[in-house]
Amino acid sequence: MSKRRTFFGILAFLFIISALLVGILIPDELINADFTVKNMPPSLDHIFGTDWLGRDMFLRTIKGLSLSIVIGMASSLISVLIAVILGMIAGSFPKYFDSLISLVIDLLMGIPHIVLLILISFAVSRGFKGVFIGIALTHWTSLARVVRGEVLQIRNEHYIKVSRKMGKSSFWIMKNHILPFVVPQAIVGGILLFPHAILHESSVTFLGFGLSPETPAIGIILSESMRYIATGYWWLAFFPGAMLVVTVILFDILGDFVKSLIVRE
Amino acid sequence: MGRLKFTLAGVLAITILITGCGKGENEKNQQIARNKDEIVMAIGSEPEGGFDPCTGWGRYGSPLFQSTLVKTDKDMNIVNDIATNYTVSEDNTVWVFDIRDDAYFTDGEKVTADDVVFTFNTAKNSGSIVDLTSMASVWAIDEDTVKFTLSYPQSAFIYTVAGTGIVPEHLYSESYGENPVGSGPYVLKQWDKGQQIILEANENYYGDIPNIKKVTILFMTEDSAFVATKSGQLDLAITTSNYADTNIDGMKAVSLKSIDNRGITLPVLPDSGEKTKDGYKIGNNVTSDVAVRRALSYGIDRNALVDSVLNGYGTPAYIECDGMPWGSENAFVEYDVEKAKKILEDAGWVDTNGDGIREKNGLNCEFKLFYNAGDSVRQALSVAVSQEAEELGIKIVLEGASWDIIDKEMYSSAVLMGWGAQNPLETYLLYHSDNVAKDYYNPESYTSDVVDYYINSAMMENDTEKANELWKKVQWDGSTGVSTEGDCPWVWLVNVDHIYYIRDGLDIGEQKIHPHGHAWPIVSNLEDWKWE
Amino acid sequence: MKILKYTLKKFIRMIILIVAVTISSFFLVTASPIDPVQSYVESGVAVSSEQREEIADYWGLNDTKTERFKSWFTKAIKGDMGQSLIYRRPVLSVIGEKFKASLVLMAMAWIISGVLGFTLGMVMGIFNGKPVDKIIKSVCIFLSSTPSFWLGMVFLIVFSVKLAWFPIGLSVPIGVSSEEVTIFQRMHHAILPALTLGFASFSNIALHTRVKIKEIMDSDYVLFAKARGESFLNIINRHIIRNAIIPAITLQFASISEIFGGSVLAEQVFSYTGLGQATVEAGIRGDIPLLLGIAIISSIFVFFGNFIADILYNTLDPRIRIGGIENE
Repeated sequence: MSKRRTFFGILAFLFIISALLVGILIPDELINADFTVKNMPPSLDHIFGTDWLGRDMFLRTIKGLSLSIVIGMASSLISVLIAVILGMIAGSFPKYFDSLISLVIDLLMGIPHIVLLILISFAVSRGFKGVFIGIALTHWTSLARVVRGEVLQIRNEHYIKVSRKMGKSSFWIMKNHILPFVVPQAIVGGILLFPHAILHESSVTFLGFGLSPETPAIGIILSESMRYIATGYWWLAFFPGAMLVVTVILFDILGDFVKSLIVRE
Repeated sequence: MGRLKFTLAGVLAITILITGCGKGENEKNQQIARNKDEIVMAIGSEPEGGFDPCTGWGRYGSPLFQSTLVKTDKDMNIVNDIATNYTVSEDNTVWVFDIRDDAYFTDGEKVTADDVVFTFNTAKNSGSIVDLTSMASVWAIDEDTVKFTLSYPQSAFIYTVAGTGIVPEHLYSESYGENPVGSGPYVLKQWDKGQQIILEANENYYGDIPNIKKVTILFMTEDSAFVATKSGQLDLAITTSNYADTNIDGMKAVSLKSIDNRGITLPVLPDSGEKTKDGYKIGNNVTSDVAVRRALSYGIDRNALVDSVLNGYGTPAYIECDGMPWGSENAFVEYDVEKAKKILEDAGWVDTNGDGIREKNGLNCEFKLFYNAGDSVRQALSVAVSQEAEELGIKIVLEGASWDIIDKEMYSSAVLMGWGAQNPLETYLLYHSDNVAKDYYNPESYTSDVVDYYINSAMMENDTEKANELWKKVQWDGSTGVSTEGDCPWVWLVNVDHIYYIRDGLDIGEQKIHPHGHAWPIVSNLEDWKWE
Repeated sequence: MKILKYTLKKFIRMIILIVAVTISSFFLVTASPIDPVQSYVESGVAVSSEQREEIADYWGLNDTKTERFKSWFTKAIKGDMGQSLIYRRPVLSVIGEKFKASLVLMAMAWIISGVLGFTLGMVMGIFNGKPVDKIIKSVCIFLSSTPSFWLGMVFLIVFSVKLAWFPIGLSVPIGVSSEEVTIFQRMHHAILPALTLGFASFSNIALHTRVKIKEIMDSDYVLFAKARGESFLNIINRHIIRNAIIPAITLQFASISEIFGGSVLAEQVFSYTGLGQATVEAGIRGDIPLLLGIAIISSIFVFFGNFIADILYNTLDPRIRIGGIENE
């Protein structure tokens, strides 16, 4: 069991890293428009076909994936930071901050996620900023709850009470006793956050709230391909989406693998 | 409990089966049951402000629900509509119209001179795009006569009159656009916001009662319209070059000539910190060099654009009025990449650091080009232009955006826009110094005393021939003008044909050359349409 | 008594949350640099100076933020949420109309996701470890990694374009006036979006149910039942379903938030004119009153769903009721 997990975990990692790097390294010329090869179905020359501007769909998709991965990772990172900080505060100072933070969590989870993303994106007048801030600010809730739970549990441990009796400040306790337990959870939680972040980023850009039409983000590729579904150019929608699904699953596998490495249950 | 769930699932499954099978029948019935005096069509954008001529409805085609004093026929000649006759003073400042006495609004009230006066005054004060700044006053001399006095001569005023539908004074209110009562050939029966409008022929129309009695107009995007066309639900639909080559049973893709054009406006002033009254930046240090603009105009293969981007559905454009009687042949330029490069070199734009982009005084030859994100043709044109510019050593950074963003950027960046009108008034609107940064006109801040002079003279000139000669001088008078060899504030690219899928057997009458705007121009003669 | 107290407590919490949402949404929406008057003008309508005054007045553009909120709130409570800029009708009336269309869609999706989720979860739990379990589990994982809108597009390509079984979008057939549309036609247009939504959301319920069923299968009373020789079907009916249904229903109600969010995407793919599509339009075209109204109304909807889920979970499950444990 764990051999398989290790194998797939490492494979997932390699795949993701290569998608990321290849995407960044592909020079823009290769996805230039070439009107002589418009709308071609998948072939040996263009394995994912071409779009209505003659751009190669395979390379565009890879570029889009790497963009989504970057945005997903960056915003997840911020989410994890927020989650850890707030979760720890909520768990450590239940009297003052817990109810407040719990209220905020319930609030954020109450507004339907997409509506919230649209609202935030709107408030910062759309664009890349809107997508990034929106995703970073809305994904920390579940992880924060987990962290909070973890902290609450640990607080009741004997050695914490001993520490406190010995006069150590709350901050010292947080840093030296609680944090080491929380960090592994945070890392795993973070990696498992990526797929959600990526999915939401593509959803929001699909709806039109984000990046300009030139950026080969998967959400944009898909929303543009919507216009050509009826003409039968199915490859414009199928491949980019399928690749996105694959990427998400890979992140899940990676997350599982890291979890098995780090967390000792 | 479990039984309940399974039953529910079963019901759902059966419903799906029934409605799934029922579909085919429905479709066929819809096609056959359509009478020969009805049509269903999809022609694009819903007029946001409603159908109110005072706020701009109907300027580009027949207002359908309302009548105009005069209108243009298929050869762009002025013919009478509600007016029976008109006279104009020697200096083009006083216009007098006589109105027919058998025109009635659909609520039974007669159309009188007071309605005309009311309409034009309201339009002028509405703060919308209807341009009546030249109109000083309008009076009803008697029940059947209207007198316009202009504050300066404007021979093109008649075209503005032809585009203004007459509204009933006694019924007008702010919400008139939602429920437009007029004296035109059609009545607005139903408006489902965001979806469709349904029109019915006006049985009390003073002119020929339309053949098609019920018209359903759907508001759909080009791709949804294509889908609907393919499934046989439409009799007419707008479409673009991307979709026009599909074979659909019973329909034909018809391409109509238009002066709807696409071009790039480039700011002509350098960036000196100036701002518009709303606080938007004015000026661009790269595009303000006429060498850059001119090089672009020489360095773009317009024929290739027509062939590869428009799939042949269009013609090259060198000025905004190619082919019109007031357009000059001197605007034409040959595609010449070497010449373009030389122009840049001579102006000091040289690639010193080998990155493929030219520089001058440390400034990269680079600027942003905005285009309306929802439009696939504009996107394709922008992409093609940017790639060709790269060959010349000019870097164009593309940005697809919505109009509300373009509004703010158009004074300091290039924008891909479209124009095209059936009268030379547009030349005045685009290039005259009066119109700098007015609405979407002249965002490039272009001014020229010489050009102003020709425009003013042309507008004062009564004789059409002489006027046209003056309009042509605006483009090129031998030493300067707005065309490529002159000041070149615009790089015009192509005229796009208007393509429609039309059902076999639908006769849409004689179409005028379409102006800018894919949707409404085609119905400007709706009352003449019929099924064969 | 305990139940009543608990219900009341949760109800008050819900009200607090709704108020909090209202406040934060208001500030989010007005924090945007988009000037409401400006966006009205940009929507293409000519604005007279009286209209400008009216709009400025309604939004209290000249007062401080808190004043503006207070004045807006008092109007909103009475039902006046302003005029939608896009549809030029009162916001509440637009929401009401669109909501009806979305409700058909969401209800269908909800039922699909509930039925599929529960049944598949049961199958997985009962046949735990066997190939059936593994296959369905993989499908669930696949689906939960799939962006719902892409799923919709695939359905669109297969069922509407290639097979032509269903219409390619919209919520009513073309060219038919609103009175003439039949219920069947409405359902016909809603099926693909509903399927998309349902498929995108059932995996969560299925996986949770699976775990629950597994627990039950391993429990003592099932062992006893088996030892007593009860038939398989009987066991399913009497023990398994009865115990698993409650958490499943709870999950169902909690999934309302996801269904609503999913409907925004599904409606966009199928051009279905419901509340979700209106949200996107409002956001893109800067229709502040409408956006605000939708944010608040949808939150109320979701909170209510969570509220019911909480109550159900704590009152129906006898173990918890007796033990009096609160669950977060």
